[in-house]
Amino acid sequence: MIKALERFIIEVLLWVTTPDDINALWAQSPRNTAILIGALIATSGALLGTFLLLRRMALVTDAISHSVLLGIVVTFLLITLVLDREFDYSSPLLLIGSALAGVGTVFLTEWLFQSGLIKQDAALGLAFPFLFAIGVILISRYADNVHLDIDAVYVGEIGLASSNTNSHCLTNCEPITITPDDPRAITVRRCMNCAAENLYPRDPRAEFEEFCGNCGTYTPSEAVRAEAQGIPIYDDNEERPTFVYWPKSITIMGLIMLLNLSFVLLFYKELQLTAFDAALASTLGFRPNLLLYVLLFLVSITAVGAFDAVGAVLVVAFFIIPPAAAYLLTDRLYQMLLIAPIIGVFATSTGIDLARGQFLGVFSVNRLLEALDDIVGLGGYTEWNVSISASMVMMMSFCFIVAWIASPRYGLLATLIRRWYQHRQFAEQLLLGHLYNHQHMESMADECSINTLPMHLNWSQHQVERIIRNLRSRHWIEIRGEQVMLTDSGEQHLLLFRQQLMQK
Amino acid sequence: MMWYSDRRFWGIVAFTLFLNIAFIPFSSWVLNAEYQYTLRIVTVGGALLGIVSGILGSFAVLRQQSLIGDTVAHAALPGVAIAFLIAGRALEWLLVGAAIAGWVGVWMLNAILRTTRIKQDAAMGVVLVSWFGFGVALLSYIQRRPDAGQAGIDKFIFGQAAAIVRQDVNLIAIVGAFIVLILLLFWKELKLITFDYEFAAVNGFRVRILDTLLATLIVIAIVLGLQLAGVILMVGLLIAPSVAARQWTNHLEQMTILSALFGAFAGTVGAVISALDVGLPTGPLIIVVAFGVVLLSITFAPSRGVIWASWQQRRDRRRFAAQNILQDVYRYGQSHHDFQKPVETAFLIGLRGRTAQAGLHQLEKQGFVKRLDDASWVLTHEGLQKAQNFEESQQLWETYHLYREALDLPDVQQEHHANIHDVLAPEFIQRLERLQKGDTNDQSA
Repeated sequence: MIKALERFIIEVLLWVTTPDDINALWAQSPRNTAILIGALIATSGALLGTFLLLRRMALVTDAISHSVLLGIVVTFLLITLVLDREFDYSSPLLLIGSALAGVGTVFLTEWLFQSGLIKQDAALGLAFPFLFAIGVILISRYADNVHLDIDAVYVGEIGLASSNTNSHCLTNCEPITITPDDPRAITVRRCMNCAAENLYPRDPRAEFEEFCGNCGTYTPSEAVRAEAQGIPIYDDNEERPTFVYWPKSITIMGLIMLLNLSFVLLFYKELQLTAFDAALASTLGFRPNLLLYVLLFLVSITAVGAFDAVGAVLVVAFFIIPPAAAYLLTDRLYQMLLIAPIIGVFATSTGIDLARGQFLGVFSVNRLLEALDDIVGLGGYTEWNVSISASMVMMMSFCFIVAWIASPRYGLLATLIRRWYQHRQFAEQLLLGHLYNHQHMESMADECSINTLPMHLNWSQHQVERIIRNLRSRHWIEIRGEQVMLTDSGEQHLLLFRQQLMQK
Repeated sequence: MMWYSDRRFWGIVAFTLFLNIAFIPFSSWVLNAEYQYTLRIVTVGGALLGIVSGILGSFAVLRQQSLIGDTVAHAALPGVAIAFLIAGRALEWLLVGAAIAGWVGVWMLNAILRTTRIKQDAAMGVVLVSWFGFGVALLSYIQRRPDAGQAGIDKFIFGQAAAIVRQDVNLIAIVGAFIVLILLLFWKELKLITFDYEFAAVNGFRVRILDTLLATLIVIAIVLGLQLAGVILMVGLLIAPSVAARQWTNHLEQMTILSALFGAFAGTVGAVISALDVGLPTGPLIIVVAFGVVLLSITFAPSRGVIWASWQQRRDRRRFAAQNILQDVYRYGQSHHDFQKPVETAFLIGLRGRTAQAGLHQLEKQGFVKRLDDASWVLTHEGLQKAQNFEESQQLWETYHLYREALDLPDVQQEHHANIHDVLAPEFIQRLERLQKGDTNDQSA
């Protein structure tokens, strides 16, 4: 079914482009494939992660992605040992089996929590190490049968996604059968008594048998593979079949992304309501828990789909970090749903360069390593060539830190500036108020002189001078001799400010 | 009663200790475990680790910060990688690096929580996965170096129990003793911030420093366990024994001791079972045993456990069955304006379920209801009296709950089924009655 879908997409693409171009775009370009798959995972994750973040369940993704390991192992054992079929990462059975394991974690957590004996966080922290431990035991127990690389489980290798393809034959797709009388058949001689009598083929006593070297039925892709190994199948002037190679992960992740997107679009209203007020949603007759479980099921499916690309732990980043960064940038749900995927896609497309040491094209990690090599000594190994998915995560963290520092409303800088401004405003109003309270009084000469103000306000001389300078530049005060006086406009300003303060 | 003068607690302690010690001869006779050098080392290491993480975990679990261990454990990875780059494969330095990185992770977590509106769960997620991503990048850099050897990430995730040697166990023992010592020194303060953080803060305790202290100890414990159990399983080992111990007691001191014992039990048993056959990894087995202890505890623990609770529920249900049925019969008569109208058994069963029969029999014995024929009942005179009193009491309770504060009545924690006249003084009841009459007057007007 998936193959039919791929075929359909390819046919559509062929209206505007050629098979070679499609191959050059994906199968022959690990970089493009990695960016596309990364972007698909980032979008899928960010859409779902936003709602989990708002429901304060972000860590559930961490738990799910760990117990998905158990689901994968169990499905693997079922497929290979019970059904006796070949195992494939993109099998739909695997998707569903692992997704069930993910939802199972949540059920187990809920069950432990519902007993009323265990707090929510502890229940989560109990459930997923347990399921994970079972998964690890199964892997170790059946290590001979399970070709699951533990490193890959944790890290994934998105760079290899382009090499795991489905081939779609476009022309000359008939299988080729070569019989011994076919002109294309090549005759090979085999020494018959070499092994038995321990002879070499050049030995004069060797007897030979003629046989056909390339007889048999070849599917087009087998034929091409055989030719690549130097076994002639086609005549020289015969047309070779044309293929489009389509990375499997693209289809799977694309479908998952569409599924998530349509879920979010279809149930936007319900999701919004349950994210902010689950109690209200349930009074209004919605089913917040059902919706939550569907959401978590989709999270599990996404985690499994992303599993061989980015690994079980790093996929958590795709769910949590972009929504968290978006949460710092906006107050609106629909804006979060737009910003979070954009951050995710930006991070994946720049992360792939970071894996080779290029940070946004402005900074080279290799340089840094060279410098470090001079200082502390790295054994002269200064080439930064690291895991792509980890680099994508690092770019996400970078985006988060930028949002944390520079968010216009909630950022550290904005907070600092706001505080500094409020500080100054408070000081100015205090000084104006002091002048106002003492104007036209006998004590004015003593209270409001430049020299005595620091003592009365308990400020440093320097601070008093600075604030007086600010206020003078706005013509709210004036200085006569040593006396600081309120001007008319200054008085008006102060009264207006006090009025506003009262109204608040 | 002081925590140590509790006989039942010492009974549980003795029993757990007995299981712990008895398991070793049991395993060698029945399971044919051979106590060779490696197994002895791993068993002792597992037990020590269980003790340390059990003690520390009590605080993490009670403060509802169980998952902080998860964050710290993942955040430690870049520290391990950098320490490996600088100092090579020396375990002490890897531990130091991990501890520093984990500590910085906790600091970053607190910074996010303090300066942004991101909640604890997402903040933990961000820190966890950011640091882990950085660590994975560093590890893959190391692995592609020509002199890398095998700095595999799986060792970090799953631990490498087979490679553990005597020095490692010594290290666990020394550092573990150090952790316990610090906990004892700051026991009072830590207990205070665990149960009443605000109170501690207001009274001038340095809560932020104490927070950091606890987090640092958790970092150190987790890093200690990396070698034996690996990251995720250390998280489980931190939580499971404490959750199990929590079911048996309400005292922090008792809980900590039990938690340490449960941890030791899980460590020992897991290590021994893993040695029985090839392909049974130590860390995961320890976790499975610990989870089993949790399940047993939440099932069997007295006064909290599932069995105990359902037994108590049944007892209560039987106790109140009679009262409920009496009320049903009374209300039936009330709604038909005829207390002599017979009520069918089937109707009562429909209302109350299976307890109806038992309730009716009790009432019949007490003389509150009369059996008319096989399937219908009617109230006796005493029964009517009793039901009326009860109904009145119920209404007073309702008013009491609605207007307790307005009427300035004392706050009593009492079950609804109790007669209000036994609980509240007559003057308070008069106030309630006055209010009820006023209410009905208002409604009629």
